Amino acid sequence: MSLIEIKDVYKIYNEGRESQVNALDGVSLTIDQGEFVAIIGTSGSGKSTMMNILGCLDIPTRGTYLLDGEPVAEKTSRELELLRSRRISFIFQGYNLIPSLKVWENVALPMTYQHIPYSERKRRAMEALEAVDILAKAEAKPGQLSGGQQQRVAIARAMATRSPVLMADEPTGALDSRTGAQVLALMRQLNAQGTTVILITHDNGIAAQADRTVRVMDGHIVHDSLWDGVLVPEEASLGVRAS
Amino acid sequence: MNSLRMALDSITEKKGRSFLTMLGIIIGVTAVLVLVAMVTGYNSDMTAYYEKLGVNKVTVKMTWYDTSRAQDMMAQLYDYGNVELSDLVEGVSPDLSTRLPLQYGNVTVDSSTIYLGSDQFSICSNYTLDKGRDILPLDIENRSMVCVLGSYLADTLFPYSDPIGKTVTIGGNPFTVVGTYYQKDGGTDGSMDDGAVIPYSLNRKVLISDWIDSIILKVKTSKDMDTVMDRVELWLAEAVDSAVGECEVENGNSAMTESNDEMTSLSVVLGGIASIALLVGGIGIMNIMLVTVTERTREIGIKKSIGAPRREIIGQFLLEAGILSSLGGLVGIGLGFALSAVLGKVMYDIIVFPSTLISVGAFAFSLVIGVVFGIYPAVKASNLQPVDALRAD
Repeated sequence: MSLIEIKDVYKIYNEGRESQVNALDGVSLTIDQGEFVAIIGTSGSGKSTMMNILGCLDIPTRGTYLLDGEPVAEKTSRELELLRSRRISFIFQGYNLIPSLKVWENVALPMTYQHIPYSERKRRAMEALEAVDILAKAEAKPGQLSGGQQQRVAIARAMATRSPVLMADEPTGALDSRTGAQVLALMRQLNAQGTTVILITHDNGIAAQADRTVRVMDGHIVHDSLWDGVLVPEEASLGVRAS
Repeated sequence: MNSLRMALDSITEKKGRSFLTMLGIIIGVTAVLVLVAMVTGYNSDMTAYYEKLGVNKVTVKMTWYDTSRAQDMMAQLYDYGNVELSDLVEGVSPDLSTRLPLQYGNVTVDSSTIYLGSDQFSICSNYTLDKGRDILPLDIENRSMVCVLGSYLADTLFPYSDPIGKTVTIGGNPFTVVGTYYQKDGGTDGSMDDGAVIPYSLNRKVLISDWIDSIILKVKTSKDMDTVMDRVELWLAEAVDSAVGECEVENGNSAMTESNDEMTSLSVVLGGIASIALLVGGIGIMNIMLVTVTERTREIGIKKSIGAPRREIIGQFLLEAGILSSLGGLVGIGLGFALSAVLGKVMYDIIVFPSTLISVGAFAFSLVIGVVFGIYPAVKASNLQPVDALRAD
């Protein structure tokens, strides 16, 4: 059983109108436990839509999504909350830290929703901050940190929850190449410890750091390195030839 | 704990806006408290006035075809009240007065009321003897030319001497002052202290008439008012021949009761109008909470993406609305107390405070309003799709 399995998934905006956009146009993809996958594509290719759907932040218009073998569409909103709380964590291009909370409180916030006691939350938050080498800023507010530091806090937040899946949407997009490399190294490290990492990027160089790259264009998967030279599905092979 | 601090942070971060949001509630609560307190103040003012006049009076109004019957009737009713109803009634006196100038030496007072009373006049009208003696039954019988002065008259006519035994002229007739009453109504001219009582049996001499149109029975306790009225009515039915006159029995407290009732309904109406201000304040809170939800859409998205349950998001916004409105309520109560005290002092010369019940009620109402009007924005926030919320700037 795969960790993530989407089958023939569509995400359609303004369906039936002239302005109809098929952000995802019948996509199928399988990701196993422990993989480090990069989903690569230009802006507007549908890669962010894909991440939102994989991360249960958005729902597909059509198609099935099995997470741990269970259909996501059949889950209640409470079950989805629990999924986001315990199974998946996110890193965003814009860091998405809460400005009014201290750095360590930001890291500890997801654990609040898991009903982990205060002392344990604080201990794990500090541990995670130490792992990303930013413990010194634990009592600061996010606004006092640089972009690279904020992204490391966001990674610490994802690490501290110990969720098995990490999704990162352009995590290095707002960072210079050196801090970007540090962030990627941290993600590799997490993957080495068993976390499944799904990295969304437009940058071929960054995607190259992943074990597997999935290229998305106009809502289709046009290339998947896993099948490259092994078994090429019909759609993907069309895409490869087209590119 | 985090939620409480986030709510407080968000309130203190935008102090000006939070204050303006609370202003509606503050004004509403203050208005409710002050209006109700003012009505209460007016009411106690009126009650004090009625108490000065004397409460618990049963009045017998008489219409005689032959006025000479009035004196007999007065005497009979006096006996009835003092013998048969002695357990219930403490005094019987005519309700009869006129305006006549009073003169002593070269000082003349024109503003005085001359009461024609029985020996129980002071009990019926709530006067207390200060010096000398009161009117006696014998004075009534003998038509003695004696009077008891109110405190204003005593002070004005006899500033430096003892009035007892002195002779004053009332409407041209000489009267011996036998006593004085304590001040009971401010001691100014035109007040109830600007009066003198003489025996009612002098009405033929002073008023040139036997006329007495009403008699007062002063009842000991208000709960006996109805019993006394019933018994007096029965007694009158036997004592008065309808061919010579008619008698009617009235409850002297009814004016006060009516005024109390009016004030109660007035305070309900005014409080109701002021509650509309509270309601409008609540709408103000809802408005600003909707703005806050829009402003914090991204924050809501972040929280949802890291697994915040719906009730957490709802709770956060409800908490903020609740804090805003209850804070407004508290400030309103403070202002209400201060303003009531000042206005009460100015208008009624007493310090009135809003009752605890009204204060607690207004506070609870403002809290409820905050929470009720916070529900819509809170639910709206919690229903945002995480992906849509994250997309917001």
